[in-house]
Amino acid sequence: MRVKLKSGRDQRKFIARIEELSGENVFACYQCGRCSAGCPMASEMDLLPNQIIRLVQMGLDEDVLRSKTLFLCASCFTCESRCPKGIDMARVMEAVRHILDPKGKDAFGPGEISPELAQELPQQVLVSIFRKFSK
Amino acid sequence: MRVHYYPGCTLKQKTTALDISTREAMKRLDIELVEPEGWSCCGAEYPLTEEKIVGLAAPIRVLRQVREEGGDVLVTTCSFCFAVLKRADKAVKDDPLKRKRVNAYLRDDIQIDPLTKERTTGFEDYNGEVKVLHLLEYLRDRVGYPKIRERLKRNLKGLAIAPYYGCRVLRPQKEMAVDEPDSPRLFEEFLEAVGCAAVDYPFKQECCGSYISVSLPAAATEASYRILRSARMNGAKAVAVTCPLCFYNMDHRQEAIKETFLDFPGLPVVFFTQLLAWALGVDKSVLGLGEHRVPADDLFSETPATEVRT
Repeated sequence: MRVKLKSGRDQRKFIARIEELSGENVFACYQCGRCSAGCPMASEMDLLPNQIIRLVQMGLDEDVLRSKTLFLCASCFTCESRCPKGIDMARVMEAVRHILDPKGKDAFGPGEISPELAQELPQQVLVSIFRKFSK
Repeated sequence: MRVHYYPGCTLKQKTTALDISTREAMKRLDIELVEPEGWSCCGAEYPLTEEKIVGLAAPIRVLRQVREEGGDVLVTTCSFCFAVLKRADKAVKDDPLKRKRVNAYLRDDIQIDPLTKERTTGFEDYNGEVKVLHLLEYLRDRVGYPKIRERLKRNLKGLAIAPYYGCRVLRPQKEMAVDEPDSPRLFEEFLEAVGCAAVDYPFKQECCGSYISVSLPAAATEASYRILRSARMNGAKAVAVTCPLCFYNMDHRQEAIKETFLDFPGLPVVFFTQLLAWALGVDKSVLGLGEHRVPADDLFSETPATEVRT
């Protein structure tokens, strides 16, 4: 994977904001890849969890913010339980979702659920998906 | 024994099988379940960023109500509720700033007196006085397996059941602290206590796809298939779950799984409380088996219960 490196105030601000929101030290990651190896959603992702954290370390906000991966994380914490450096990747994902443009479109909104499906779904799944993927 | 019980939103509406089988089983163990007055939704998701303090307000409000009613333990069965309540409680206990902020949100909340129904406002901060337990933990630590064994009315004859933990009960381990995240025994010990044989298989703590089943059903179909196939290949007659969403993904969506993966012939999914209630002698008609899309009736067939374990 090729990326164009940038170094400036925006990059430093992005990293600091992710660390502040997530409470995790993203520089602890040494790219072992265990998070991606165990991720149940990895096959659907455009960037794997370890790639997301590498891009965060480099401050490449645009690459991270446009990734589909943010809306594939099921917060199952498998990565968290296996990280040898104790990073909670689900918190990093949530921090990135948190700083997406608040005026932007919902990644997943109520309009995408048909009335028939809404009747069938357990309430908890509706509450959790809107908490995660809509503004 | 009397204990506070938090059913959560889904158990009251869509997945009543989990709620009614829990109640029936607890009756047989002489445990009175008390719902906290005026409980609300727990929020389903624990807020994972440091700034979303408001997400702690709903679970802490429930816990504070339990304390107001004199309770020191809150039992829940749904994995999502359990994770949110337990993590919110820990956040308030461990982090003085979060404690201060979430209590500031709740100070003007309305309190309903459980006896007089009188509405008052303004009450003491919640500081983590209530212990949140999953029903599996409660059965292990507070009721005890010997008591369950004593009360068994039916012999399940080592019925092969695959325990499925899913995501929220075990992880993150430093907050949930229920069991080892990669080699748990909690569910296995429970199944053995009620007379089943716990099937060991590698997908017991893998994710079923969770809420992704709404936004990208194909991904959840595959995730659930991997679990069900593994359980079946290891000899399970059914998968036992604790969470209504795991149940939805593996039972209600099993038709889609079978259509996508033609090698999979199907496998019933049951709640752990249905097995418990059945073993304790509860009638089949009150186990909520009508809610299953994959028929599970055969597992609860009334073959003459010859020997009763003591």
